[in-house]
Amino acid sequence: MSGEGYSPGAQTDALVVTHLSDRRRSVLAWGLPLGLMSAFIVAIFPSVEESISKAVQGYPQGLKEAFGIGQLSNVEQYLQAEMLSLIVPLAMGYLAVRAMASGLTGAAESGRLDVLLSAPVSRSRIVAAGFIATAVELAVVLLVTGLLTGLGSLLAGSGLDAGRAAEGFANVWPLALLFAGFGAIAAGFSLRTSIVTGSVAGLLVAMYVVDLIGRLDTGLSDLRYASVFKYYGNAIEDGIEPIAFVGVTLAACALATLGAWLFERRDLAA
Amino acid sequence: MTDVPAIETEGLTKRYGRHRGIEDVTFAVRPGEVFGFLGPNGAGKTTTIRTLLDLIHPTSGSARIFGLDSRRDSVAIRARLGNLPGDFGFGRETPGREAVKLLSRLRGVNGTPRAKELAERFRADLDRPLGQLSRGNRQKIGLILATFHRPELLILDEPTGGLDPLMQEEFLALVAEERERGCAVFLSSHELDEVQRVCDRVGIVRGGRLIAVERIDELLGKARRRFAVDVQDPAGLERLRSLPGVAELEIVGSRTTFTAAGDLDSVVRELADHHVVDLEAAHPSLEEVFLGYYEEGEAT
Repeated sequence: MSGEGYSPGAQTDALVVTHLSDRRRSVLAWGLPLGLMSAFIVAIFPSVEESISKAVQGYPQGLKEAFGIGQLSNVEQYLQAEMLSLIVPLAMGYLAVRAMASGLTGAAESGRLDVLLSAPVSRSRIVAAGFIATAVELAVVLLVTGLLTGLGSLLAGSGLDAGRAAEGFANVWPLALLFAGFGAIAAGFSLRTSIVTGSVAGLLVAMYVVDLIGRLDTGLSDLRYASVFKYYGNAIEDGIEPIAFVGVTLAACALATLGAWLFERRDLAA
Repeated sequence: MTDVPAIETEGLTKRYGRHRGIEDVTFAVRPGEVFGFLGPNGAGKTTTIRTLLDLIHPTSGSARIFGLDSRRDSVAIRARLGNLPGDFGFGRETPGREAVKLLSRLRGVNGTPRAKELAERFRADLDRPLGQLSRGNRQKIGLILATFHRPELLILDEPTGGLDPLMQEEFLALVAEERERGCAVFLSSHELDEVQRVCDRVGIVRGGRLIAVERIDELLGKARRRFAVDVQDPAGLERLRSLPGVAELEIVGSRTTFTAAGDLDSVVRELADHHVVDLEAAHPSLEEVFLGYYEEGEAT
């Protein structure tokens, strides 16, 4: 029976399906709270619309620019300000690195990696499968979040534009995926999940803060080029910027490839 | 059967910065041979195994498996071997059956029938999540994952840890069957008795260095054996002390005890001059042999 009947494509499929099966609970653990929170935000909008608009008029200009708040005159703007400008991208970025780490450092810590690498599968393929599974997981969590948000709007009659909301949630995907790529690189240096998730989560927050500083102080606006949040934009209002979407996705893939290269070369010490 | 060694290392060395891993390890394992790899914790057994599997990369030297380079051809090599890691794990929530399915797909084989057969033989529960199994029962799943695809080389790191005596017997029988099939087995173990029973040759590793590779029977032949003899008249038995290889001679009444190593002809001739009432020769344990090598190593 021993031999060379394996196919790299079937190996990737098997690894991706197993990774997704192992992380099936995260769809509920992350999608449900984010979705319910978003649904709550859009559902209360009709009742708070007037007071919010008045309150925003009183906000300092810098604060409005920093958080991308123009006017909160419609539910899409409110959803952007309350969820899509901060909470969803940070949560999804963190989920991405957690998911990526579970397939690499988590597998190393549980002993699974040793068993997988007893089979004729390359380390690069394990990284690639983890990255693909993370991309799917992020998409599913965003889909659940978006669907619950739409349901909230429907029930409360908030009038959320489904197409624009879909663009807003979809735009989070490449940004979050970028941090899966950073997770792959971090796993090329450390096999400890706490170090990988901690360091990449720190990078996620640092990028957000750098972007914030760049927005607040025009003299430091060039700093924003160091942050992926510069390319994130406001898709729910302006639509997805295709170049930024594709560019960030390609950057995420490039980081994952670099991570695979590093992972291939490192010692997997006991 | 091919003449290409299943495993062949040449000066295999792994250093972790200033820390020692393994140093200049050279040995070969033939197809169909069961090779024991003995040493205490920290001696370098697991480092050697992880280097063979390309999980860690050697600082210098080389390892060839089935004649292929352990680094460059790692994936092709792993298609033909089975491995049971020293600390087997696969995630707490995964049942053995799922692990078998995944490994079958990664290997491109239908391993389920053979895995079921092995599960029945080892009384392993493939349906319960691994986190709910005892160490011994997890180890059975590990053995199934290492062997279900009928590999040409089995690498087993402390394979019987946690197995009850009955299952240890079953494991030894499985190793013997694998050898009959032509599979080479590289077995790292502290269980010296099982190594003695199942291995053809043994490598003894100490301080990261392979200090001896011997056939089991030669190793036992070199070992110091303990004798107890009852004679009607012990006078003159003091002469045993001067014979080559004899030590620890004690004469208490009619009972004389001593240890002897190597050729026993002169001992038998000396005893033949007396009326021997009883003679006991304790079979040396491999542990005694092993400790002997260690003492020898420390002395040098």
